[in-house]
Order: sequence, then structure tokens, then C-alpha cells
Amino acid sequence: MSNLTRGLDRLYIRPKTLDEAAVLLAGEGGQVLSGGTDFYPALGDQLPRGRVVDISGLRELRGISADAAHTRIGGLTTWSEIIGAPLPRGFDGLKSAAREVGSVQIQNRGTVAGNLCNASPAADGVPPLLALDAEVELVSRVGKRRLPLADFIVGNRKTVRRNDELLTAVLVPRRLDDAASAFLKLGARRYLVISISMVAAVVQLDGSGRVAEVHVAVGSCSVTARRLSKLERDLIGAPVSGLATRVTPEYLSPLSPIDDVRATARYRLDASLTLVQRALNYCVGNS
Amino acid sequence: MPETIEKVSIQLKVNGKSHSVSVEPRTLLVELLREHLDLTGTHVGCDTTYCGACTVLMNGAAVKSCTMFAVQADGAEITTVEGLEKDGQLHPIQRAFGDAYGLQCGYCTPGFMLSAMQLLAHNQQPSDHDIRKAIAGNTCRCTGYQNIFKAIQLAAQNMKGAR
Ligand SMILES: Cc1cc2nc3c(=O)[nH]c(=O)nc-3n(C[C@H](O)[C@H](O)[C@H](O)COP(=O)(O)OP(=O)(O)OC[C@H]3O[C@@H](n4cnc5c(N)ncnc54)[C@H](O)[C@@H]3O)c2cc1C
Ligand code: FES
Ligand code: FES
Repeated sequence: MSNLTRGLDRLYIRPKTLDEAAVLLAGEGGQVLSGGTDFYPALGDQLPRGRVVDISGLRELRGISADAAHTRIGGLTTWSEIIGAPLPRGFDGLKSAAREVGSVQIQNRGTVAGNLCNASPAADGVPPLLALDAEVELVSRVGKRRLPLADFIVGNRKTVRRNDELLTAVLVPRRLDDAASAFLKLGARRYLVISISMVAAVVQLDGSGRVAEVHVAVGSCSVTARRLSKLERDLIGAPVSGLATRVTPEYLSPLSPIDDVRATARYRLDASLTLVQRALNYCVGNS
Repeated sequence: MPETIEKVSIQLKVNGKSHSVSVEPRTLLVELLREHLDLTGTHVGCDTTYCGACTVLMNGAAVKSCTMFAVQADGAEITTVEGLEKDGQLHPIQRAFGDAYGLQCGYCTPGFMLSAMQLLAHNQQPSDHDIRKAIAGNTCRCTGYQNIFKAIQLAAQNMKGAR
């Protein structure tokens, strides 16, 4: 405990256990620092305001594991670790997204949890995890709670995470392990680029080659990435052949893209339609 | 912000040599390398975390040393461009950058060489795509990239021959 109290007047602290971190955040508080790839650029030429709690030493948040119900992606898992991990094919889309996050240097440092907590509308990790029905686990001194990713991110860089909570894991249901999945990102160039639109799809077929379950999420086209639920419902039972042609522009109505330096709203919608069709084609081509 | 900022003691290995240093938590890794350890081969080319001139290896993985506080490297092994040569002999990647004219002004070069190091440590026969992907986080204002690309291909061949 002496170690902790001494920490209260320090600007930088790197707790060694989750308990210690939770106590720190519940007390004096501080800004959470993980890979720092969003944290550092956000500083601009300013110093961090207040204390920084570096969570990179928390062993409890490391690694990817699985039980009967869920694959558990620890809160310190980097994009490079996602790319290198032996994950079921339902994660192919997430792996594709991981390869698109910045560049190798960014993938080596940046974490999945940091991407979700930062909650940029263009966060590449969000659509694939939404399409996988992922949940997030939040831990604070008062306890643990679990909620769907869709309820966690509530706006542009806004989440329901309280300042005293850490995102300790992302949980993905094993039910989708064998599903085909895809992630497609459109940017102004091939590498190191912020998405104009991105689409993740997960498709599970039944024994007769028809769609049993399909999830489609679109990012960069609304303040938070969105699932296309009407499309998902309407595609159930559809045969794989010609699946993509069933996606008409009306299904994109949950999206509300904006005009900005990267693209116009109209272009975003048009591009998203094509990406949704391609992602579905990719999934059924690989079923 | 207090007038004096409490320093944090960290230990790290840089190019095989152990260092114990006391740094302010706001000190960037690149500042530690350049200003405290006098390893000025690692360059700073931007203040937006995009250019990759500051790339070093941390425990074998390419990272941008401008996008990290030095305290985050506590306990780590860092390799900078100064650590590539051995016994006065240039590393095959360094020789290939010379032989293939992979540099002009040279400002970006240390970063490219360290990105190439991570690639070639895990992949002896990188495809064109692998090479482009590996250097996507590095910017060069002079060469137009083609000769950098060729230099990495050449280094891959030479390193394979040497194994
Ligand atoms: C050059 C460059 C290119 C990039 N390209 C892309 C890209 O193509 N696509 C993309 O999606 N992103 C991109 N990013 C953004 C960034 O790399 C990712 O969002 C990354 O996943 C963030 O993870 P991190 O660990 O670095 O987060 P940090 O920067 O450490 O933290 C981000 C935020 O989340 C909070 N936080 C982090 N972890 C936790 C946790 N476990 N619990 C609670 N709060 C937490 C922090 O307090 C902070 O507010 C890029 C960044 C850079 C610098
Ligand atoms: S100095 Fe430009 S990315 Fe680090
Ligand atoms: S050689 Fe001049 S920036 Fe690359």
C-alpha cells in the first residue's frame, strides 16, 4: 500500500496488477495509457493533463484464450498479436482489419481495447467486432460488468466507460467460430490511411447452402459503426447464389454519412453499397 | 503543471548495452535515445506520428520512438541504427541500401532499415507485397521508394545466401 500512496503525487504510474490499477483509478484517477498510438497524437504539443496510468504491465490483461462459450481477447492484445494468433475462421475479418490498422509499427503497439475505448468513427476494429456480436468486459474497484460492444460505443469518441473502469477483455461468442467472415476498407490510398468506408460481414450457412445467420456492420459512415439489421433479417434463408444482388441502397438507411475532407456523403453511401456486396460475395465464395 | 517533474528510474538495453536512467515521464523514447544517450542516428521527421523516421526495434518489433514515452520502454531491449553493424562490418541491410542506391538525403534511411530488420528477421523470402506492407509506415521524400524496395530485396537475397 505504501507503494500506492506514494504513487498519488506521481505523474506517471505503471501498476503491476489489475487490483492495484483499479484502486488507483477509483482514487486519484488518471488517464489510461496503453499502446499510446491514439493517446500520444491526441496530445498535440501539450503535456498530458494530470496523471497517466500506464496499464501495459497488467499481466491479467494479456493473451487470447477460449472457453466453451467465448473467445477472450485480453485488454492488452495488440493488432500484431491478433494477426499472429491461431484464431477460428470467424475471425478472418478481424484479422484483415488488424492488417489495415496504420502500419506495422502501429500494429505492434496499438491494442484492440485502445481502438474500442478511443471510439473513433473510423476505428477499424469496431465493424468486425460488431459483426461478431462481441461484448466488452469492464472492471473497476466496485466490480465487473459485461455489455455488448454495440451498447459500449455511444457516439463520436464516446463510450459508456467510466473513468475508473478498464476494458479488460473483448469476448466473442464461439457460436460464430465456423462462419465465413470478411473486412473491406476503402481509403484514399492503399496503406496508412483513415477509412472512407469499411464493411465487415459474417455469414453462417445452413446444411442446404442457404443463409442461416448473417451480420453486416459499416464503419466511417455514421458517428459510430452500425449493423444493417433489416438487411440481416431479410437475407436469412436466402440462397447463396446472387446473395449480393439482394443488397439494395435502401438497406443502407441506418447510415448517416457526412461530407468531409476524405469524401462526400454520397460517395460514402455509394462505396459502402459496393463494399457490402463484395464482402458478402467474399463470404459466400469462401463458405 | 508542477515546476519540477518527478523523474522515474528505468532500465533498458540499447544495442546490447544496459542503461539505468532517470527520466521525466514526459520524455519521449526518441528524446532519450538522441539527447540522453547521444544516439542521433534515430531521426525525427514529423510531429504527427506518421513519417516513421524514428522507427526503432523494441524487443524485436518495429515501433515509432516518437509515439512512446521513454518510461514505456522500461525493461525493454531497443535496437537503433547504430546497433546494426557488428565489429565494424555493416549489416547486410545497410550494405544493400548503399549498393541499390536506396537513399538520397538519408534522413528516412535508419527508419526504413529498422522496418526491414523486423521483416527479414521473420521472413527470409518476402514477396513484393510483404516488402511494401513492411515499409508502409515509413515516408521518403527523395527516392520515390523503388530503390528502397530493391535494397530490401537485395538484402533478403544476401542474407539468405549468408545463412
Ligand atoms: C500513424 C497512425 C495510424 C493509425 N491508423 C489507424 C487505422 O488505420 N485504423 C484505426 O482504426 N486506427 C488507427 N490508428 C489509431 C490507433 O493506432 C488505434 O486506435 C489503436 O488500436 C489504439 O490502441 P492503443 O493501445 O495505442 O491505445 P491508447 O492510445 O493507449 O489509448 C486510446 C484511448 O483508449 C483508452 N484506453 C486504452 N486502453 C484501455 C483499456 N484497456 N481500458 C480503458 N481505457 C483504455 C486510453 O485512455 C485512450 O483514451 C492510427 C494511429 C497512428 C498513430
Ligand atoms: S518522427 Fe515521424 S513518425 Fe516518429
Ligand atoms: S532519402 Fe531523403 S527522405 Fe528518404
